[in-house]
Amino acid sequence: MDVRQRAVGWSLWLTALLAAVIVGSAAIGPVSIHPTTVLKTLLNAVSLPVGIELSASAGAGTLQVPSTAVRWHSPFSYAVESTHETIVMRVRLPRILLAALVGFALAAAGTVMQGFFRNPMADPSIIGVSSGAAAGAVAFLVIPVAIPFGLGLQGAAFVGALVAAFTVYAIATEGGRTPVATLLLAGIAIQAFLGSVIAYLQLISGEGLRQVVHWLMGHLGNASWNDVAVTLVLVPLLFGMLLAYSRDLNVLLVGEEAAAGLGVEVERTKRILLASSAVITAAAVAVSGVIGFVGLIVPHMVRLVVGPDHRVLLPAAALAGASFLVVTDTVARAGATEIPVGIVTAALGAPFFLYLLRSREVHEL
Amino acid sequence: MSDGVLTVEGLSVNLGGTEILSGVSLAAEQGELVGLVGPNGAGKTTLLRAIQGVIKPAQGSVTVDGQAVGGLSARERGRLIASVPQETGLSFSFTVEQAVAMGRNPHIGRFGTADDTDRTHVQRAIEQTNLAGFVDRPVTELSGGERQRVLLARAFAQNTPLLLLDEPTSNLDINHAIATLDLVRRAVDDSKAAVAAIHDLNLAARYCDRLVLLADGKLRAAGTPESVLTSERLEDAFGIETVVSADETTGSPHVTALSKTDRERS
Repeated sequence: MDVRQRAVGWSLWLTALLAAVIVGSAAIGPVSIHPTTVLKTLLNAVSLPVGIELSASAGAGTLQVPSTAVRWHSPFSYAVESTHETIVMRVRLPRILLAALVGFALAAAGTVMQGFFRNPMADPSIIGVSSGAAAGAVAFLVIPVAIPFGLGLQGAAFVGALVAAFTVYAIATEGGRTPVATLLLAGIAIQAFLGSVIAYLQLISGEGLRQVVHWLMGHLGNASWNDVAVTLVLVPLLFGMLLAYSRDLNVLLVGEEAAAGLGVEVERTKRILLASSAVITAAAVAVSGVIGFVGLIVPHMVRLVVGPDHRVLLPAAALAGASFLVVTDTVARAGATEIPVGIVTAALGAPFFLYLLRSREVHEL
Repeated sequence: MSDGVLTVEGLSVNLGGTEILSGVSLAAEQGELVGLVGPNGAGKTTLLRAIQGVIKPAQGSVTVDGQAVGGLSARERGRLIASVPQETGLSFSFTVEQAVAMGRNPHIGRFGTADDTDRTHVQRAIEQTNLAGFVDRPVTELSGGERQRVLLARAFAQNTPLLLLDEPTSNLDINHAIATLDLVRRAVDDSKAAVAAIHDLNLAARYCDRLVLLADGKLRAAGTPESVLTSERLEDAFGIETVVSADETTGSPHVTALSKTDRERS
C-alpha cells in the first residue's frame, strides 16, 4: 500500500483512539461523570466562526474606525449540569490535553532519537535534555535568587534543557561533523554531571525537598493554560519539522555514508533532527517534569506494529504516546491519593512491553 | 554526452594530514566498466569516496556528466552517482522493497511521495536483480548474497549515469560473486558507466573493460586488463612475484601469485 495512505490510515485510527481515551478519562475522577455527559459538554464547547460583524466603534477619538468582530455560533446546546460542565472543562480537560501533548512530544522525540542513534536504548533524554530541565527546575526551587526575565519554574526548566542539549552538541562537534557515537557519550557524561548537581541541590534543599522530588518524578497536575502556551505552540510546529525530515531519517538508518550518496545532506539533516527533538522534548519536560518510559517504550511498541518507516511510524508513535500518557495519568489521579504519573508510566508500561517482547520476536529495531 | 560520463583529473586527497591519493586521473565512458585494483591501502576506497563527493579533494576535479561534483548538492549528486557500499548497513527491518525504494530518495522532493516513474524504476531494479520473490521480506533476514543484491537494486533504482562499487564481491561466495558481476556488467552494457574496486584480480580481468592499478595513492598503470596485469607491474605494486597466463576457459589474463616455496620448487 502507498506510504501516504498507510500514514493517514494509522493516524486517523489513532486519533479516534485518542479522542475516545480523552472522553473516557474526563469521565473518571472523584466525581464520576457519565461519558455521554462528557461528550455533550465537549460538543457544547464547540463553536464555529460563522461570519464577521462590523460595528461602529463608539470611541471618543476624532477618527471613527469601524471595528470588526468574528461572530461565533455554537451548533450544540445540550442540557448539562453546570457543576459537571465546570469539572470537565475547567478541571479535567486542561490536564488531559496537557498529558496528550506531553505524551505526543515525548513519543515523537523518542522515535526520532532511536532512529538517529540507531540504538534501541535511545530516548528523548539521551542528549541531556531531561537532566538539563531537571537541573534548571531544581535550581529554581532550591536557590533563593530571582531568575531574570521573569522566568518561572517552567522557563527555568526549558532554558536548562536547551543549554544542556546545546552543550552536548557543541562538545561532540568537531570541524562541522558530529559523530553519533561521540554525541551519545557526551550526552551520558553531561547527564552524569547534571545528576550530581541535582543530587547536591536536593541535599541542600531542606524544606523544599518534597517539592523537588515531586517535580522530578513527573507530574501533570498543576500546570495552567498559561504555563502550557509555549508547549502548545512549539509541539505541533516541531513535529511538522520532524515529519518533513522523516524520509531522510529512514535513509540515515542505512548509514551516514550511504545516506550521503542517496541525496541526504547528512550533517544538516542531523542538526535539524537533533535541534527539533531537543526543543520538543524541552517543551514537554518543562511543563511536566521528567516522565520516563513514554519516549523509550511507545516507539518500540508502535514500531512492532507499523514497521520501521518513519513516515508512518512517527505520527503513529506520537499519537499512541498521547493516548498512553492520558491513560496513565488517569490512573495516577484516579486513586485516593494522587501519585506522580512517572511512577505509573513505568509500572504499567514495563510489563506491557515485556509481554510484547516475549510474544513477538523482538531482538532488533 | 553519450560518452565521457566520468572524468577525474589530477585528484589528490589528504586525510588527517596524510596524502592518501596524489594526482590520480581516470575516465569512464558509457558502457564501460573500469576496475580499480591494487593492494590494501592503495587508496581505492578513498578514490571512490572522492568521486562520489563524500570527501573533498585537496586538488584536482571530478566531473560527472559534464558537472563538477564538488559544487553539487547531495540531492544533485544522488541523481548522477549511485554507489554500492562494501559494508551492508541494513540493520533496521525495512522490507526489500522499502530498501530498494530508498534509491529514489534523490529524485523526490522533501514533501513529495513516490510517483509512477519512481515505482517503475523500483520495480525494474527489483526484477533486474531477481528479487521479485523477496519484496516483502525484511532485509535483516536475508543472506549476504541477497543483501548485496538489495544494495545493487537500490543503486539501479537511483537510475544514475555513473555507478560506483566498492568491493562488491569481497564477502560473497564465488556463485554470488559471479552473479553480482554479471548484473553489474549487464547494467553497464545497457546505459551506465561504472567504476568498481575489485579485490580479486582474476574477476577484475574477466569483467572489466579497463583496469586502473593503484599503489601508495598513485596511479601505476591504466588500460586493458592484458596491458595492466603484467608480472613487472604487479611486482611493483604488490611486491610479490606473479605468473600471468591466459585463462583456459575465459581467455582473460589469469594471475597466479607465487609464494616462496613455489619459487624454490621452480
